[in-house]
Amino acid sequence: MSEQHTPDGSGAPVPVLSAHRVIQDFGSTRALAGVDFGVSAGEIVGLAGANGAGKSTLIGILSGALTPTAGELRVDGVPVSFDDPEDAARAGIATVQQDVDAALVPTLTVAENLVLDRIARRSSAAGSLGAFPSRRAIRRAAADVLGDLDLDLDAEVSRLRTSDKQQLLIARALHRGARVLFLDEPTAALSIGEQQHLHDRVRALAAAGTAIVYITHHLGELVAICSRVVTLRDGVVAGEFVRPLDREAIVTSMLGALAARQVATRSGAAAGDPRLRATGVRTRADRPALDLEVRPGEVLGITGPLGAGKSELLRQFAGADPLLSGALEFDGAAFLPRHPADAARVGIGFVAEDRRQTSEFPDWDIAGNIAIGDLRGVRRGPLLSARRERSRAAEAIDRLRIVASGPRARLTSLSGGNRQKVIVARWLVAGSRLLVLDEPFRGVDLGARADLAALLRSGAAGAAIVAASDPEEILEVADRILVLVEGRIVAEVRPADVDAAALSALMLAVPETS
Amino acid sequence: MTLPSLAPTRVDRARALIYRYGLLALLLGLILFFAFTEPAFPTVRNILVILQSVAITAIIALGVTVSLTVAGFDLSVGSIVSFVVMLTAAVQVYWDLGPVVAVVAGLVAGALIGLLNGVLIVVARIPDLLATLGTMFTFAGLALVLTAGQSVSAGATYNGAPAPGRISEGFLWLGRGNVLGVPVPVIVMILLGIVMTVLLSRSRPGRLLAAIGGNPEAARLAGVHVGRYKILAYVVSGTLAAIGGVLLAARLGRGDVGAGGDLLLETVAAALIGFAVLGANRANGFGTIIGAIFVGVLLNGLTMKNVPYYLQDFIKGAILVGALVLSFSAIFRRKDQ
Repeated sequence: MSEQHTPDGSGAPVPVLSAHRVIQDFGSTRALAGVDFGVSAGEIVGLAGANGAGKSTLIGILSGALTPTAGELRVDGVPVSFDDPEDAARAGIATVQQDVDAALVPTLTVAENLVLDRIARRSSAAGSLGAFPSRRAIRRAAADVLGDLDLDLDAEVSRLRTSDKQQLLIARALHRGARVLFLDEPTAALSIGEQQHLHDRVRALAAAGTAIVYITHHLGELVAICSRVVTLRDGVVAGEFVRPLDREAIVTSMLGALAARQVATRSGAAAGDPRLRATGVRTRADRPALDLEVRPGEVLGITGPLGAGKSELLRQFAGADPLLSGALEFDGAAFLPRHPADAARVGIGFVAEDRRQTSEFPDWDIAGNIAIGDLRGVRRGPLLSARRERSRAAEAIDRLRIVASGPRARLTSLSGGNRQKVIVARWLVAGSRLLVLDEPFRGVDLGARADLAALLRSGAAGAAIVAASDPEEILEVADRILVLVEGRIVAEVRPADVDAAALSALMLAVPETS
Repeated sequence: MTLPSLAPTRVDRARALIYRYGLLALLLGLILFFAFTEPAFPTVRNILVILQSVAITAIIALGVTVSLTVAGFDLSVGSIVSFVVMLTAAVQVYWDLGPVVAVVAGLVAGALIGLLNGVLIVVARIPDLLATLGTMFTFAGLALVLTAGQSVSAGATYNGAPAPGRISEGFLWLGRGNVLGVPVPVIVMILLGIVMTVLLSRSRPGRLLAAIGGNPEAARLAGVHVGRYKILAYVVSGTLAAIGGVLLAARLGRGDVGAGGDLLLETVAAALIGFAVLGANRANGFGTIIGAIFVGVLLNGLTMKNVPYYLQDFIKGAILVGALVLSFSAIFRRKDQ
């Protein structure tokens, strides 16, 4: 199966699974506008496209999760329709989701997870392991599922590496008769060694005749393992490429002419001490070291695809995670935060990803949620003054235009955008010198986003580092943007020089590995 | 004529009032009812009897309140009381070291057991309930080991000979004495009630404890040393239980095997009833004291009405369930505030 495939060619095999002129509407939005797509036995087809191009929609239709508005699906050339993913699974179509843990029972062994469906079956049903399955019976059945894969059957699944969990899921899917395998961003959570491991396995499966659809943001992976690449743009197939694959051509077809505007201007050297300077830091122990700095009054944006390492970096700056390597300097002095309290002491205010879980005190009122960042500031003598808490909160409500009935309103009575403002206000009133915000605009309405962006750019917070994977958001807020891909800074740009599409293109760049 | 449009706001306001003042109103109603139907009830003497009966429970319940504030739970308070009762008696009777050493030893023991709880929970990462369940058994057992299963009173046999010491008058005064007619334990309860209420609601450490209880990760990222403050909470809880133990030993006048065993449920009930006071819906010092007094008033009044003693536990349980419904059920909760 090493020769090139030309799926439309007359001599080509009938695709195992194909979509014909598929259209999908969500309300008045047309997500797919007549897509043809097919995958044959033994192929690895890469599916690529920017966010919103229609990738997820197409996968949803092919795997039975969505019913198309119009168009036809065929299995082995025979028209079919899937009611649900289980229906598609019976037809031999399996999906390994990005979130592997959702499909596994962590406290059971590899063997038990492999034959979970058979253990769960009623003892009278075919393939059941009986009402009291013995360890031996489970191991024997599991060994059968595992095939030639090298996994310890008795290991507890919670102790496995992510790549091994993926292998387990793939083995389980294949054993259920999967002939088409969808791998959705399978390497997002993998180390480089694990990626290699997965690629080898995927190649072996294809060689054995499985049809594979590989979805990824990483151009390098597409080029490395796909026999064919299909790109989507604005709900239609923008291009189709066979080996030898040309990166430039793929990017251009995904993003249109805009991709040509790739700019990576290094900004000039800074004047004065940076607010925060990081040298030799890493997003993960097995990722390269990198340097960055943010100057007083500046808003540094960090963008990049999921898994790029943005959160990992920010958490180290804020003392939420230990510094993996390198050194930090804050206002010119060495700075090694061992706890968020150390960061707070020098004036770093950190708002982590997933604000609800990591920042909010939902049962408290606005005043309490703001005061917690600086309780010393609302003391009167040895005790806290409720009046001071409230007056500080009232100021913040005015200044950040928080929509609320007053300082005593419960946080949960506010909208997402206003809650985010409250959390930011927590650090502003504490006199922050650097705000570190991780995905601050998720679940935040456009008005609140604009308010927050304006606030950050006004320099009121001293300086800011904002991480967001959405290029639009980062363009709105940042003075300078770093593009992070797989733990590497692949570009540094100014918002004036790029637009969202160009930023997306930069995120697709593949860091040189050596 | 505008009744239909006003009705919902009236209902809302009524609910909010019940949520906030329901338990206090019920307490007031009970007091008025007993006062008008039982002439012996509204006397200064009887009020002091009621307060005296709940003082030790209330003090220990303040400790439970602190552990509840960090969203933990200290099941070991009853055992700490038992252990401290035996220890303070043994220090005086067996080892003849006098009342001051006895009180200090009792308080230090309580604080150390609290420290152990905190370390088990924070460092060994054992869930609160399980860790304190373990120490609950351990120290209830150790209370027996300390005196070989014997009660300790003056003249008891120790190492084959009569014990050298006795429980001093000064020590007994802590449990039985009074100042201007007010029993010492009641004074201690009032003082500690005020101190703990202020500390929990209006001091920086108190607020940090509440933050840990509200959202530990948010507290950590806001710069709170969560582990240290959790340990502090259990040390305070253990110390307050030890104060209760000292007062109980002083009231009993001897080291009574089994003293304190029934205090865990009583104190937890007082602290949980306290959730409903003033609509706090969280552990709070004032509410805990009111919760303890509520139970005391009810039992005292019902006893006067010749309600049999064996109904007492049932009545306490029913009050607890009612109070929990009041503070947790969405029926009475306002969306805002």
